Amino acid sequence: MLLNVQVPSMDPMPLPGPVWLMTGLLLLVFTLHVLAMNAALGGGIWTLWNYVRGKKPEHPNSRRLAEELAKMLPIFLAYTITLGVAALLFVQVLYGRFLYSSSILIGGYWIMVIPLVMLAYYGYYYVSYTAVKGKSRTGLVAGLSVLCLLMIGFIFSNNMTLMLRPEVWLKMYRAHPNGFNLNLHDWELWPRYLHMMIGAVAVASALLAHLGMLKLKKDPEYGAWLVRRAAAVFAIMTGIQFLDGLWLLLAVPRDVAMVFLRDPVAGTVFGLALMAVITAVILIVLGSMADKPSPLVHVGVGMVVVTVFLMTGMRHLLRQAYLAPYLDPGAVVVKPQSSAIAIFFVLFAGGLATVAVMLWKLAKYRKMQSPAGAGDAAA
Amino acid sequence: MNYPDWILGFPGGILIALVAIVHVVVSHFAIGGGAFLVVTEKRAYGKNDAAALAYVRRHSKFFALLTLVFGAVTGVGIWFAIGLVTPEATSALIHSFVWAWAIEWVFFFVEITSAIIYATSWDKLDRKSHMLVGWIYFVAAWMSLAVINGIITFMLTPGKWLQTHNIWDGLFNPTYMPSLFARTALCVLLAGVFGLVTIGKKDGGARERLVRWSGMWMLAGSIMLPVFIYWYFLKLPKFSKTYISESLTNVSQALRGGIACAALIGAVTLVFALWKPRWMRAPVVVVLVVASLGLMGSGEYVREFSRKPWVVNGYMYANDIPLSAIPVLQKDGVAAKANFLLTTDTKSMEYGKNLFTLECGSCHSVNGYRSMRQRVKGWDAAFATQMVAHLPMTKGPMPEFAGNEADREALGKYLASLNPPVDYGTITDANRMAVGAQVFAVHCGNCHTVNGDFRPLRDAFTNSTPDQVEGLLPMLDTMSTNMPHFDAPADQAHALAVYVATEANRPLSNPPASNQPGPPPGVK
Repeated sequence: MLLNVQVPSMDPMPLPGPVWLMTGLLLLVFTLHVLAMNAALGGGIWTLWNYVRGKKPEHPNSRRLAEELAKMLPIFLAYTITLGVAALLFVQVLYGRFLYSSSILIGGYWIMVIPLVMLAYYGYYYVSYTAVKGKSRTGLVAGLSVLCLLMIGFIFSNNMTLMLRPEVWLKMYRAHPNGFNLNLHDWELWPRYLHMMIGAVAVASALLAHLGMLKLKKDPEYGAWLVRRAAAVFAIMTGIQFLDGLWLLLAVPRDVAMVFLRDPVAGTVFGLALMAVITAVILIVLGSMADKPSPLVHVGVGMVVVTVFLMTGMRHLLRQAYLAPYLDPGAVVVKPQSSAIAIFFVLFAGGLATVAVMLWKLAKYRKMQSPAGAGDAAA
Repeated sequence: MNYPDWILGFPGGILIALVAIVHVVVSHFAIGGGAFLVVTEKRAYGKNDAAALAYVRRHSKFFALLTLVFGAVTGVGIWFAIGLVTPEATSALIHSFVWAWAIEWVFFFVEITSAIIYATSWDKLDRKSHMLVGWIYFVAAWMSLAVINGIITFMLTPGKWLQTHNIWDGLFNPTYMPSLFARTALCVLLAGVFGLVTIGKKDGGARERLVRWSGMWMLAGSIMLPVFIYWYFLKLPKFSKTYISESLTNVSQALRGGIACAALIGAVTLVFALWKPRWMRAPVVVVLVVASLGLMGSGEYVREFSRKPWVVNGYMYANDIPLSAIPVLQKDGVAAKANFLLTTDTKSMEYGKNLFTLECGSCHSVNGYRSMRQRVKGWDAAFATQMVAHLPMTKGPMPEFAGNEADREALGKYLASLNPPVDYGTITDANRMAVGAQVFAVHCGNCHTVNGDFRPLRDAFTNSTPDQVEGLLPMLDTMSTNMPHFDAPADQAHALAVYVATEANRPLSNPPASNQPGPPPGVK
């Protein structure tokens, strides 16, 4: 069936590092990218909702949450982009011939990601500067930023599903060689897009439950309110995710989805992910229901992070299964650039240490200031 | 050939250039501006200058908003654009330099983090720690330039990499150092230019002092820049130097534009920043920012053009076709090898058009930028087919055509269709020279001049009579395999011969009859 499908040939240049290493780095940075994206998008939706709700005087907690979150949104988006660049780097070297092809097919939309990110980013900065003052346009701008991010997600979902479908490329290219194609006929597109977007709200809620726990000490009432609210949204969103996940599994072609039954590694990852998310829901909900939210919430949030990592692994295994007819691991020539790889890891460790030093300096100064009663300094 | 060709309707290089030029301006500012912030901060503390401190705090916010958002996102934009326009080249670069990019990413990560901390921690860190964060930012930002500079310069001067395919040979190539120094000078210059943007009424009496301080940075950058650019030019490959020395119109225009912008920046620096800083008002700052964009744009244009017809010199052509693929495509034809063609009917006009977008469209449009309609005036299908076979001989830097005879014919047919044949009218004694000049422009002018710099015919035809020239015309393709067969009606051939013989024998002190043949007359 796939014999006549045209797929770009492999780059004649050898792979500059072992496949396992680059795959490992891809999975790691992509997980971190997804977490940051979830915080940026899910956090944006939380901010918007609480900003609107907080306009009424009877919801001071909402107002406070919106103001606190607003300040963080540009930072979440900064790391979404930074970590996304790293993921893009490794996905290009491993799957470039699929990714470039699908990107070109949707090129007209794909390039729009750039101005959309910029709009969302400046919008978030505007919201971060004006949320406290409560300018009339703050809510509108927050909404537009969220809308931009939702559109970007949709374009990404199109590309990530289309890169797995070489069989439709030629027909699609001939229909619109100007790059104004979308992968709309693919049944997997919608559940997958929803999976990422609902997941963003769910994970952001889990992270907010964590934030609530951190606030408990200074402000028990506000902290508990945030933990309970975030836990409830997390549980509801995860419930919807289960239904959507089922839809997604049904939308994936049977022979591809069978990987989770046939392949013991894939089956294990699937099983672990399922257990991790169920554990996360139980822990976060139980932890939040106690009179005083308990540290179970922290463990639950940790399980959410584990779930995201396992889900990223599932996504990778599904991609491998989709592309299996076109991949020939035996034909891949690997010629590791050992010295460059070594330098990368040394610098990576150095980079993390440098960031740690800067954060430590901030923490130290804050500690020094707080007993003097300086409180939170204004930005 | 491997990938779908994104048919934009204009050369994809323009899209890359649009994203890249605005990115390089902001990203160079992002580096120099980092040093500017910390040095200004240190100076303000040292002199106990509250006004300067207030300014640098304000400037750090502007800096973060411009570099973190616009600078970073347009950088990602270049990734997106090159992947869409030249996927084959992007793949080659990523396979060669993914670890260089990974290293650069580490610096980028530190850069983003330190920039956020620096801009938001004026009251959350002690002075020493705050400045330390600033220095960390600057070092990380400059290091990311040091890495990326290796990849950019590699594309023009891959050096030993072509033989070894070794990452370090590629990165530390012949133009690496001069380019790094020139870019560092630009960083310093732009730090000064953008430093002016946030100086305003709020600064009161400190305004002139701050303008002068920015002016010092501009002056330092302006002094260093020409020296390093000259060093860079010395290291350019021979073929790139000829584009500049033989003054291809667009290169010389870009060069002149760049020099004008640099001179303007220099003059404004001396007069408005250093001599009379109170004259430095918003419109002058706007002029400076625009001139900086012009300087950067023309510099990047000349750098990009001097690489033509390559995207990676000696490895891959600007139309994203690797040099190694040419023999295969010339033997088997595009239809047999390309994965994404709009039609495989090699006889159809549609196929020729498709070949045009595939092989020519990255640099040429039909009617707009580097218009082909202008360039094929007077070409019939047979002549166009022959010209396609001899592309590297033409005046502009062109790659070899990647295709077989059927492909050449299809492309030739399409090119000829862009413009109807030229009608020279009745040739008389009175208009013979003028018609000859037009026939020369159509048939010879793409690869020769008579008395000009580019492959002049003067020496070959001095002392030749028109009849002798005319006698050679039917034999051109047998005299040299690089010459197309000459096929034109006898009266046009005669007019051409008269033109060439007359021009070649004209004393050079005399004004030319028609040294620069204009467009052919009377298009039907």
